[in-house]
Amino acid sequence: MNTTHDLKNLVKLGIDMTNVDFIVALAGNPNTGKSTVFNSLTGLQQHTGNWPGKTVTRTEGAFSYLGHKYKIVDLPGTYSLLSTSTDEEIARDFILFGKPDVTIIVADATRLERNLNLTLQVLEITDRAILCLNLIDEARRHNITVDHVKLSEILGIPVVPTAARQKEGIPELLETIHKVVTGETKCNPYRVNTNFRDIAPAVEKLESKIKVLFPELPNTRWIALRLLEGDQKIIDAVRSGEIGKLIFEEMEG
Amino acid sequence: MTLYFILLTVLIVLMAIWIKKMWGRRWKISDKELTEDALKHLYNSEENKTDTDENTLSKVLSISTKRAAKLIKKLEASGLTQNVDGKQKLTNNGRSYALKIVRVHRLLEKYFAENTSINETEWHKIAEEKEHRIDENKARELAMQLGNPLRDPHGDPIPTAKGEIYSHNGIPLSKLETNDFGNIVHIEDEPKNLYKEISESGIYPGMQIQIKDKFKDGIEIKGDGKNKFISNEAADNISIVPLNKDEIIKQDYQPLSSLEVGEEAEVVGISKALRGMQRRRLLDFGIVPGTRIRAFLKSLGNDPVAYELRGTLIALRKNQSDYIFIRKIGNDK
Amino acid sequence: MKNERELIIEEAEKLRWEVGDNLHDSLLESIYKSAEEISRKVVSRNDAGKISRKNIDHLIDKIVTNKWTGLPIMFLLLAAVFWITIVGANYPSSFLAKVLVDTLHPLMKDLFVSLSSPEWLTGALIDGGYLAVAWVVSVMLPPMAIFFPLFTLLEDFGYLPRVAFNMDGIYKRVGAHGKQALTMSMGFGCNAAGVIAARIIDSPRERLVAIITNNFSLCNGRWPTQILIASIFIGNLVPPYLAGIASAGAVVSIAVLGVVFSLIVSWGLTRTVLKGEPSAFSLELPPYRPPRILQILYTSLIDRTIFVLWRAIVFAFPAGIVIWSVANINVGGISIAEHFIDWANPYAMLIGLNGVIILAYIIAIPANEIVIPTILMLTVLSLKISGIGAGAGVMFEMDNPADVAQLLKLGGWTALTGINLMLFSLLHNPCSTTIYTIYKETKSIKWTLVATLLPIVLGILVCYATTQLWYLFT
Repeated sequence: MNTTHDLKNLVKLGIDMTNVDFIVALAGNPNTGKSTVFNSLTGLQQHTGNWPGKTVTRTEGAFSYLGHKYKIVDLPGTYSLLSTSTDEEIARDFILFGKPDVTIIVADATRLERNLNLTLQVLEITDRAILCLNLIDEARRHNITVDHVKLSEILGIPVVPTAARQKEGIPELLETIHKVVTGETKCNPYRVNTNFRDIAPAVEKLESKIKVLFPELPNTRWIALRLLEGDQKIIDAVRSGEIGKLIFEEMEG
Repeated sequence: MTLYFILLTVLIVLMAIWIKKMWGRRWKISDKELTEDALKHLYNSEENKTDTDENTLSKVLSISTKRAAKLIKKLEASGLTQNVDGKQKLTNNGRSYALKIVRVHRLLEKYFAENTSINETEWHKIAEEKEHRIDENKARELAMQLGNPLRDPHGDPIPTAKGEIYSHNGIPLSKLETNDFGNIVHIEDEPKNLYKEISESGIYPGMQIQIKDKFKDGIEIKGDGKNKFISNEAADNISIVPLNKDEIIKQDYQPLSSLEVGEEAEVVGISKALRGMQRRRLLDFGIVPGTRIRAFLKSLGNDPVAYELRGTLIALRKNQSDYIFIRKIGNDK
Repeated sequence: MKNERELIIEEAEKLRWEVGDNLHDSLLESIYKSAEEISRKVVSRNDAGKISRKNIDHLIDKIVTNKWTGLPIMFLLLAAVFWITIVGANYPSSFLAKVLVDTLHPLMKDLFVSLSSPEWLTGALIDGGYLAVAWVVSVMLPPMAIFFPLFTLLEDFGYLPRVAFNMDGIYKRVGAHGKQALTMSMGFGCNAAGVIAARIIDSPRERLVAIITNNFSLCNGRWPTQILIASIFIGNLVPPYLAGIASAGAVVSIAVLGVVFSLIVSWGLTRTVLKGEPSAFSLELPPYRPPRILQILYTSLIDRTIFVLWRAIVFAFPAGIVIWSVANINVGGISIAEHFIDWANPYAMLIGLNGVIILAYIIAIPANEIVIPTILMLTVLSLKISGIGAGAGVMFEMDNPADVAQLLKLGGWTALTGINLMLFSLLHNPCSTTIYTIYKETKSIKWTLVATLLPIVLGILVCYATTQLWYLFT
């Protein structure tokens, strides 16, 4: 089976991994209908608790699709993964260290531009993602159309338009999840151009050193930028060598 | 009966005030605090190239000269300072101890600036009290939580955990000529009255300014689109890095608060005076250089104002929109 | 290998000084540059036509934020919500009371007696626990089931964020967030719901302020107390033809006083104990949209009404048992309740109340709704009257306010007691459901204690001051 999730880290993050084939993470801005998407995927099979050592509520659920058992974890709703709030740290660490088999990013179709902020940040740290373009019914009502095929081409990940309240698009979302976790659909995520004029030499210098040490790491630039921002979690991960395990996609399957 | 109760009430209130006052006074300073404050003072005077003896020490720590002399002896005995030609100098041990306290102090100030709503003028005072109660581990945690910051909110470099420090290479503001541009890299937070003058005129580290005019008793500068006058004493406490012509960014900007409803503008930047959570929120909303923004709607009391950007309506208070800089684009309404 | 990793970290540490601290800003700038580029390629808007949605939205916005129309619209809408709630809740409330209290209660008691259960068990479970639950359900459920959907309707339509937008000017001055106007309004329905609603404030300091001060909103459970006491004691202070207006005015003044207190306390808190909490203002104004009726009914009934009601019931049952027990367990010939009342009376007199009221507020902590029934029961008990009520430990209510007035006057109540009870009903600890909810929301014992003790300290001070002034002038 073509799983990417890190069992040990997931257990450390408090996830019960018995009887689970695939781990799905659900990320998104607040007020995008994220919990509606979550509910329509899991139904009543939900379980709430706290993140270990944090006062932030965690909801996880389970569902089966085409013979596979999925566990889906609802990450805190955030606008970003870069800042230092507890919510953002939880969401970031789960995706980065738990390495879910797929991360669904729920975005509000009526405010795509703002939602792309989080989307692009998620794509910096994982290769397996699906953009769930939710509230497509609202967008229609406001005469906003989003060319999701083109969006999918640009972002390099599947894009599924949904109206979770009306259950519109949920079957397609399930099918897409299946295709991504089984490797039928390959993702090739868009990476933000981070060539800042004034600091490019510093980033490049550091990046090249990281490349030498961890040749398999796919997004060394991102690691370099995190180190330059003084991100303690990443510094610790480099120090312990754990960063070397963050190889997002196993190509051979 | 009634009179008795009124008297009782007054008495209780007076007692409460008395207790509060006593609490505020530092009855006795512990030896540890004294030692640490003395080391810090020695470090600062070495940085400023001034000398330390029991007289300056007794003044700074507000203790008797006798006690100060005793303290100096103690410092010498424990190998933290040494006597060089009758002057007190820090030993390597003493310097690294002092730097550790400076590190905690600056981390605390950074923390207050970023993660609390404590007023700017109080940062230093509270940090002075708290710095003695934070050990190395706690300091490390604090640094981690803040994302290992390089500088405190005054622009001072924060020493590393190993006790290394990078110094800023600024020059006093008064050295700049009229019409020169510069970037403020550091503002000295002592003495208090000068720091208050500086912070109240809206000057902060990271601000780009231009010298407009020099007078006998002060300097007029322009920053964030406004002219400000500062006294010569205050100007000596501001360090600046002169800017070349090509480093000077757009001087023709205005604060977002000047945008009238219906007008459109392009964001030039967010002032460094907006820090911490406040700043990250605005960035997350997509208020970054180049963003198109339009004043859309005023609330009942005219503050806050709702702005349209990236397809959403965001309400901002005047104390936020004053610090977001824009360049107006021709009206289209 | 290990060494090389450390070298990278050291290198990064050194480079950071070259890079400076603008990295975060630059990173977001480049991300948004990409986002802008992408959305330009894939998103298209059709705002053509004069009556496009955008124009309609703008028109509504102009009306609700207009100097002349904004405030009247806000007050009219909120007044309408309250009016519908109060009027609409009357009928189902009395129906529920008839079924749960008047019909089921005797039936269950008979059933227990026929099963030959001991008297103390019947008393504690049926007269105590069951009756408390029945009371809470019948007075709490209907208003909440009406208030929450109406409120959610305004929220879903997109109007409430505009209220926050308009009110922010006032709240900013006391260090709070404009959305506190919303959590406060929600508190008029139920403080526990108001505390939960504070989640919409995403700035930690402002959220805590909203949570701690929510109790100053006179909740649905306290309005009946206010109205009853005002009509008995305030109405009497003025000529009969003014009685109605005077007592209504008194109740409204108490509610307004609550709002004033919430502002003052917010101001005080943000300048003292809450200084250490971070603060960042942000408020998004979502586009207007037609409310989704079914969704609203579901969320407001299940998420709010049932949720709050369930917590109240969980607390009401044991409290009912306690209420029955203190009135029935005797020590040295008289009940614990009477012991307490006798002991507390002199202290209570200092703040112009009496032992009965103090005890009632302690044991009726699960819900403000059962304070008056408990007071009536305790008054009868302490006066040792027979013929009124249903026996020791059984809460009851009287249909005729004149009868209540007579009973309370027998219990030594004066106009001062009435006024102080009204003040104390506004300024006392939150009900146990709210306290528990505050703990759940803040996860902090410290803030829960502050939110619990602050109003009661204020209440004691205000009642004390009122009493002393009253004696001074009469």
